[in-house]
Amino acid sequence: MTAAPKTRDIALRLLAYEADACKASELEEAATLRVYVRVYEKLRQSLGQIAGADGFQALASRALVLARIEAPSLGKVRVAADGSLQGLVEFEPQPGSGKDQAGEGGIILIASLLGQLRIFLGEALTLSLLRYAWPGEAFDDRNSAHGRNA
Amino acid sequence: MSTLQKVKINKLPTGVPGLDEIVGGGLPEFSFNIIAGAPGSGKTTLAHQFVFANATPERPALYFTVLGESAIKMLRYQQQYTFFDPALLPDSIRFINLSQVVLEKDLGAVLEEITREVEKSNPAVVVVDSFRTMVRKPLEGMDLQAFIQKLALFLASWQATTFLIGEYAEDELRDNPIFTVADGLFWLCQTAERNSIVRKLQVIKLRGQASVPGLHTFRITDAGVQAFSRTFGLTARKRNPPSYRRLSFGVAELDKMLDGGVREGDSVLIAGSSGTGKSVLATQFIAEGIRQGEPGIVAVFEERPEAYAERATSLGLDLETPQKDGKLTILYLRPLDLSVDETMQSILDAVQKIGAKRLVIDSLAGFEMALSPGFRADFRESLYRMIFALTGIGVTILSTVEVDESFTEFPFSTYSISFLCDDILRLRYVCIDGQLRKIMVVIKMRGGNHAKDIREYEITSKGVVILGNRLTNYQGLISGIPVHSAPSAPKEEPSQEPGTKS
Repeated sequence: MTAAPKTRDIALRLLAYEADACKASELEEAATLRVYVRVYEKLRQSLGQIAGADGFQALASRALVLARIEAPSLGKVRVAADGSLQGLVEFEPQPGSGKDQAGEGGIILIASLLGQLRIFLGEALTLSLLRYAWPGEAFDDRNSAHGRNA
Repeated sequence: MSTLQKVKINKLPTGVPGLDEIVGGGLPEFSFNIIAGAPGSGKTTLAHQFVFANATPERPALYFTVLGESAIKMLRYQQQYTFFDPALLPDSIRFINLSQVVLEKDLGAVLEEITREVEKSNPAVVVVDSFRTMVRKPLEGMDLQAFIQKLALFLASWQATTFLIGEYAEDELRDNPIFTVADGLFWLCQTAERNSIVRKLQVIKLRGQASVPGLHTFRITDAGVQAFSRTFGLTARKRNPPSYRRLSFGVAELDKMLDGGVREGDSVLIAGSSGTGKSVLATQFIAEGIRQGEPGIVAVFEERPEAYAERATSLGLDLETPQKDGKLTILYLRPLDLSVDETMQSILDAVQKIGAKRLVIDSLAGFEMALSPGFRADFRESLYRMIFALTGIGVTILSTVEVDESFTEFPFSTYSISFLCDDILRLRYVCIDGQLRKIMVVIKMRGGNHAKDIREYEITSKGVVILGNRLTNYQGLISGIPVHSAPSAPKEEPSQEPGTKS
């Protein structure tokens, strides 16, 4: 399953936002990986507040299963009972694999999670809920300071 | 008496059409309310409407979900309602899930969590949905009553208007100490009446202001909960002073029989069997009103508005143009399972929208059939409320009712509602000289000296036309099978005019 272009775009924008926030341009592959974790963790905290830990865990587990279809590198990643990601060590880029493999897997996972939200809540409410985690950030194309389409 | 002012309690809009009227103008600010009812009765939707109507970025709403419906699914469904504006999340409305706290800790921890969030956000509105689910878990530490007591005290001090939502059966409401803490207690229920579902709402308790007592029907539509006050939203309206203006029927001879016409603000009943011309007279009444610049409403139950207007055209009456000009509304109220109150609300809305002065209900039998079976028992009482409400604001109501033709009785209505009507006009068939002819008589007219004549009439291409003078040469006309009292019927005897003695 390929994430809808818009969902993938939002995922990229969140990653770019977090990369900017921690000056990702200077980070290496492992640190780049941590940007996905930052995005995921922010989603977990904010969505967990709304849906509860169980609610988020259920949503994230489904998103991970779907993401694995496109990104086999996520094969050993697990969603813990509290919704956090486990098995990230195995997800670290292997020598010679390049950062793109891990990077793409992270994008796919975040996009898949956003896709699940979008299926349940629709685009408008999903974008509104993202503002729980990124207050003040506009996620529509016209106003986003970090939007690729801005 | 002190000249110092008493505290003024602000009234907040409930966001539920019709509910502001029921609660006396709006919900008291800073009140601590409980919405109780069975699953599926509309509690969560009602709370959402209040939240969306009152939350602002400066004073947001906090919506705590506990056990029960998944918050994501709740949002999935609630956003289908037109009042749900996603743009209000999260700045004005914040959803917080407490299920983990409830599952892992006790009510004290839940209270701490709510306290923490309230102190962080300074909300104007707090909802806990559903507090009842917390009780189903074996209690440790604080009991539910203490929890609610502390929560009420805390939220009042933070100047938040609060709703606790709980699943309760009706018998659990009685003598339940939990409810003593609440300032407002709203009970929602739905009952099956034969094949219909009827939803009702009751304000069991509301401190600080008078609410409209009784069970009010409500409906859940795309717009959310809509309540129908038993007083039809007219409690705040002053009754018009009695009018002495006469309204013409558009039938000159009938106006004469009515001492110049129907008195404005009267409730008129036209009773007769099938085919006697009740609807024709009603159409003439409404068309004459429009001709005189008085907008009108026709509520039809037995035929579609197009057919009603077409039939008027065949009588030379144009009902199409006034509909386009906003002077006439023909309401088609056919769907089954209507409550009386929502039917009447539709009529009232239409009356208020075009400033109607005349209302035709054609017919009461069709009206009754459109109602949910459970409401038919209350039909007479509901009619009373509607007639009282509408005539009080100066609307003249003309209702038609079909009565079975009898040769031993002369009934006015099958509903025993003649006491609700100021004026009654009775139409009936009569057998004269081997013909089935029609007669009419004014049975009753409050505040007017109507003619006592029994007049023959016909239905022509111009509508109801009253023929000749009163029928003087027959005995037993109202029985339907009169006998000649003279060898021939003189034609020229003058008709008895109103106000004259025979």
